[in-house]
Amino acid sequence: MRFSPLAWAKLLFLRDLGPTEVGGFAISDAQDLLYLEDFVLIRQECSPVTVAFDDDAVAEFFDAQIDAGRRPEQFARVWVHTHPGNSATPSRVDEETFARVFGRSDWAVMAILAQGGQTFARLQFHTGPGGSLQIPVAVDWSRPFAASAWPDWNQEYLQNVRPDEFCHHQQIREHAGPLSVSEMLDGLTEHSHQFFNEKGPT
Amino acid sequence: MKILFINNDGAGFADHIEIADGTTVEQLFRKRVNEGNPADYLIRVNRQPASSDQVLQPGDRVSFTPTKIEGAGRT
Repeated sequence: MRFSPLAWAKLLFLRDLGPTEVGGFAISDAQDLLYLEDFVLIRQECSPVTVAFDDDAVAEFFDAQIDAGRRPEQFARVWVHTHPGNSATPSRVDEETFARVFGRSDWAVMAILAQGGQTFARLQFHTGPGGSLQIPVAVDWSRPFAASAWPDWNQEYLQNVRPDEFCHHQQIREHAGPLSVSEMLDGLTEHSHQFFNEKGPT
Repeated sequence: MKILFINNDGAGFADHIEIADGTTVEQLFRKRVNEGNPADYLIRVNRQPASSDQVLQPGDRVSFTPTKIEGAGRT
């Protein structure tokens, strides 16, 4: 699977812009579905360790993409999100989402980019005998690409990424002074317990 | 009558389809998604949430899109 330089730059920019995970869908070339031309954020609520798309925003995204003349296989097959730390290995929540949401599609890719740079991509397909395999992730420099658009990407981030209460608390505290390590760990642990008590351990 | 139907299952679908007069949202879902769980989809008609018994009208835009797309880093 290959990212255009523009899509890759945008994904890195958005990963590093805030304190949370982010997620979205990649937009594929119509003739080469594993060549990713762009990465689009969906309106989402995020924490440093979670990302959850807004259901209405997913539907709006589908409508907008159809109106733009794209087919679902171009905009709804490559689910991309980031992870904190160095591990891009899917969590249990990731696996459950991938199976439930994309398990009825002919094919789909779960792609993860970790904060530390590690990547993960798994292609699953349900045509023929079905199956799945981990595929390499690369940046394809062989085609012309547009310039970075940081102001636009920043605006897209502000419009779509809603940090959860813990992150708001953290940002407010940053104005008053940095959190101590113990305060930060306490907050993360509390948040993780809230999330994973609903989802089960990863 | 014809409606515009958008569905992500299978190969993905976004095209006009012919349905019988009086078809409800639930009937269309059962026919097109078959064993799928309605709770796993946001069902909209003309970009608005729809009830299962809503009767579709000519020219309606119906979409079945996935819900609860969420990820988490490993802890």
